[in-house]
Amino acid sequence: MIGGLFIYNHKGEVLISRVYRDDIGRNAVDAFRVNVIHARQQVRSPVTNIARTSFFHVKRSNIWLAAVTKQNVNAAMVFEFLYKMCDVMTAYFGKISEENIKNNFVLIYELLDEILDFGYPQNSETGALKTFITQQGIKSQLQTKEEQSQITSQVTGQIGWRREGIKYRRNELFLDVLESVNLLMSPQGQVLSAHVSGRVVMKSYLSGMPECKFGMNDKIVIEKQGKGTADETGKSELGSGKQSIAIDDCTFHQCVRLSKFDSERSISFIPPDGEFELMRYRTTKDIILPFRVIPLVREVGRTKLEVKVVIKSNFKPSLLAQKIEVRIPTPLNTSGVQVICMKGKAKYKASENAIVWKIKRMAGMKESQISAEIELLPTNDKKKWARPPISMNFEVPFAPSGLKVRYLKVFEPKLNYSDHDVIKWVSLQLHSEMSAWPLDAD
Amino acid sequence: MPYLGGEETLRELRRALSNPHVQADPARYRGAVLRVIRLMAQGADVSGLFPEMVKAGAVPDVVQKKLVSFYVRAQAPLQPQLALLAVNSLRKDCAHPSPAVRGLALRTMCGLRMPGIQEYLQQPLVSGLRDKASYVRRAAVLGCAKMVKMQGDCEVDGALVNELYSLLRDQDPIVVVNCLRALEEILKKEGGVVINKPIAHHLLNRMPDLDQWGQSEVLTFLLRYKPRSEDELFDILNLLDSYLKSSSPSVVMAATKLFLVLAREYPDVQADVLVRVKGPLLSACTSESRELCFTALCHVRQILRSLPGHFSSHYKKFFCSYSEPHYIKCQKMEVLCELVNDENVQQVLEELKGYCTDVSVELAQGAIFAIANIARTYTEQCVGILTELLGLQQEHITSAVVRAFRDLAWLCPQCTDAVCQALPGCEDTIQDSEGKQALVWLLGTHGEKIPNAPYVLEDFVENVRSESFPAVKMELLTALLRLFLARPAECQDTLGRLLYFCIEEEQDMAVRDRGLFYYRLLQAGVEEVRRVLCSPKCDPSLGLLGDQSKQPVNAWALEFNTLATVYGRERWALATAQQPVEPSYSCSPAAGSRSRDSESLVSEGDKEVLEVHPDAPVSEEKELLEAHPDAGSLSLIPDVSLSAEQFERSWLSLNTSCQLCLPWAGPVHADTIQTALRVVHIHTIAMSRAGAQPWKAYLSAQDDSGCLFLTELLLQAAGSELQVAVKQSEAKPEALQSFISALRTVLEAVAGLES
Repeated sequence: MIGGLFIYNHKGEVLISRVYRDDIGRNAVDAFRVNVIHARQQVRSPVTNIARTSFFHVKRSNIWLAAVTKQNVNAAMVFEFLYKMCDVMTAYFGKISEENIKNNFVLIYELLDEILDFGYPQNSETGALKTFITQQGIKSQLQTKEEQSQITSQVTGQIGWRREGIKYRRNELFLDVLESVNLLMSPQGQVLSAHVSGRVVMKSYLSGMPECKFGMNDKIVIEKQGKGTADETGKSELGSGKQSIAIDDCTFHQCVRLSKFDSERSISFIPPDGEFELMRYRTTKDIILPFRVIPLVREVGRTKLEVKVVIKSNFKPSLLAQKIEVRIPTPLNTSGVQVICMKGKAKYKASENAIVWKIKRMAGMKESQISAEIELLPTNDKKKWARPPISMNFEVPFAPSGLKVRYLKVFEPKLNYSDHDVIKWVSLQLHSEMSAWPLDAD
Repeated sequence: MPYLGGEETLRELRRALSNPHVQADPARYRGAVLRVIRLMAQGADVSGLFPEMVKAGAVPDVVQKKLVSFYVRAQAPLQPQLALLAVNSLRKDCAHPSPAVRGLALRTMCGLRMPGIQEYLQQPLVSGLRDKASYVRRAAVLGCAKMVKMQGDCEVDGALVNELYSLLRDQDPIVVVNCLRALEEILKKEGGVVINKPIAHHLLNRMPDLDQWGQSEVLTFLLRYKPRSEDELFDILNLLDSYLKSSSPSVVMAATKLFLVLAREYPDVQADVLVRVKGPLLSACTSESRELCFTALCHVRQILRSLPGHFSSHYKKFFCSYSEPHYIKCQKMEVLCELVNDENVQQVLEELKGYCTDVSVELAQGAIFAIANIARTYTEQCVGILTELLGLQQEHITSAVVRAFRDLAWLCPQCTDAVCQALPGCEDTIQDSEGKQALVWLLGTHGEKIPNAPYVLEDFVENVRSESFPAVKMELLTALLRLFLARPAECQDTLGRLLYFCIEEEQDMAVRDRGLFYYRLLQAGVEEVRRVLCSPKCDPSLGLLGDQSKQPVNAWALEFNTLATVYGRERWALATAQQPVEPSYSCSPAAGSRSRDSESLVSEGDKEVLEVHPDAPVSEEKELLEAHPDAGSLSLIPDVSLSAEQFERSWLSLNTSCQLCLPWAGPVHADTIQTALRVVHIHTIAMSRAGAQPWKAYLSAQDDSGCLFLTELLLQAAGSELQVAVKQSEAKPEALQSFISALRTVLEAVAGLES
């Protein structure tokens, strides 16, 4: 099992170290620093074996988290645990940075004490943890009594991710669909492979132990129902276009009843309190690409590059894409850039080695372009510039995968508030990003 | 150690902690406690505040109790007498109405690590196991494991084991999993927890309630269970079916392993399982969490070894994307090599070709070797691509391509002609030793097919004085002699010059000897040379050998989802070789100046490192050190000031605490022993001359509590046994044990080096 957990800053200084097992000596902390953080070459592998001790590490911005063990463990589990640890820390104090870790070190030790005991993972659901862990401890005795009863109900409850007795005056439910499109294109502009990975994120503020049901335009379900009733009550159609989508694979939060999904393809669950990720899915078929990006690069002599990028919006003219940001990478030896764009604002950011082009909104079936002249410092480096992909961020009011929310229902058998009393924010806030367009010279 | 705090700060904190006004105000009281913890984390000595802190733990505030618990766990081993104070208040807390407090108190007590704590632990643990709050039961169950580990070799209490077995039926899922973990540790000597039919069925029924960690571990424990009948086996598989599609990759992999192992006699079930986990594995391989992605890729490679075509239709999923880290790209290239087939070979090669021009040298060369690997089956296309790459005239690319060509010419003779045509012109771009060797070998072995081979070799001979790699010179000698046999007229003069240089001017002995050897061989006549040198030029059978035939699934089913898969079998075998027996934990009293917990709170930068130091002198010594990582529990101080007279006096006054014999063959190299011992901070006081009989050495070492270890090494006659006698200034059996194991490791390592 996990013998110890260390957190380092980018210089390799130990910020947090917690040892759970006696087989991990204090020299383990230094061994990792010397062999991995201070190693000259790139990281070889996320799992490193030094003197029969395995180090599993994960990097978040410039912070290193390392789990150490001497036993032959399940690597996937250790990594999942480290991710969970990061999630929990983020839920408590936001971004994982050196400053935040230093400021919250007491809290982190408390967390490490609670989610791991003797190196074995214990309860790690953020919602449930919030009842044990008291960061700002200014709570009077009265509250502690209430808290104590909560802990008892929490720890005896059958459902690990939700405590009993939650009460809200307004029952609200938020649902966001976040998708990102990954694209591989050949230099000739052919799409080699494309997939959408999406996440359905919910925020639930519901009283009691509500039972929720979520429906989407999954191909299998639609085909099944096509034979039965055509119209379903309580269904909220959003937008139009493709009728159903084929999902390649999906995974759910622990709260979803998998047996029901397997037999009826219906997603029903008792949600945790607060924010959580309901499902992740991936589709590869019939992906609507909201934009086309056409890059043209011309080398004018050895010290100059001309770049022209055209973007075309590829959806109905009545729809609007928002917050478009195109990032065009520039060579490392760029000395100056002149940009002309028809729409929006563009700027060369030397620190990021990229031209960032921002457009507030853009209607469908439109086209816009940017041209830039990049001046280069002459170098005697013969190596060609490895052209990183152009990436793009935007929000569009439809999902590239074609996913639609058909219904979202809430039942609470005990507290007796009905589906209508719940305020639902089923806003399809779609943040999409596309990347990996190889930018090649003609 | 930074000297923070100081007397003044400590005094002020003590005043604050014992001030009744502060104690009356919970916020201020906690503030003071927090300051103590912060000081401790910075490395200041706050042990003086122990009584005040213990008292601060007696307030109703849970947060403050937690803070005090950190402090007590860190400081208790330093002050065993005062720690008893803490034990009393902790025992009181074990009866507190709040489950959070009871659980915390139990955990704190189990973490105290002071001698004799066991007798205080027993009773609270037993009542903790029967507590009505599951939070307390969770802590108590693991507490039992900690206690047994602390006891070391003592007999395990049967009643406790039975109690834990009965707790497997607990309501709370985490208690159930903790029970399994605790039993596994407690019964380690007897082979771990026993999973019989009722327990297995009970666990199977509880699976849905468990969290992902629990599920993953229970699936691993279930590996031990052997179903009685076929029906039972298939019932179990049906019950666990949904876990193959779990959202957590670790559960998916654990379930896959269980399926593969349980169905070891049903190959079609195994094949079916592998088809069904394809989806989850693929999505893990394309997930954004890089480390998981890496782990999944390792497992994909493992599966491909048995079912080469398994992922072939999904080859595009294994194309690298720009932003991925190096280790994922390397794994993906390996996977691509293995899943290539007639349909996708074109696309895969196109993709790999793209990577060959990557800015990272290592990646580019990796891609070239990947293509060379595929070339064993799809020779023509690959050789075409590789030849094209030579046109780029990049140093690292050309070098890698030529090395790939050498291996190809050896394994696939049919491509020799194509290779020979591509070679001219390469010699200008290659700079590194490996590349040059490969080129020279090709020119020598297949020189009759390359028109300008003698002249290229002649250029090498011209520049042989500035050649820095001896290996290249050796290769050059052999190549030229071989070519001489095929094209004597063009080579004779060059060969003569090279032999002259090697024999008269060369500094490197190996090269000179090789030159002399060939010279004498030539004196024996050309026929003789031909007999010696003209070995076969290719060996296609080797390619088939390297091309591992399909492994049966059962060959790796037990390794699936363990580190063996992640590291690769060979590396794992290496990493686990000569694993020392894990020392049972014994409560080290004052031997280590600080306990593990206190270290864990310390976040200072530079410390004296015993084992791995950034500038440890020689790598060989580093290996020696790493060979005994367990010496960590004993820390010897680097400089002992002990004169020979003092040593003699102490030696005569003490009794021998330990005597042992080590096998020793061959002579003694005093220097090696001395250096090796110095690295682990054992110093040599006196030593007889090398070769003296009997040979003797006196060693001394001191640990940080001041205990001296005096050692005599005695070798009666060469080739017999080395007798070791150790004397100790204070009777500390644990420290002695670790000292001896350290000494023994070093001596054995040295003996191993010499024999």
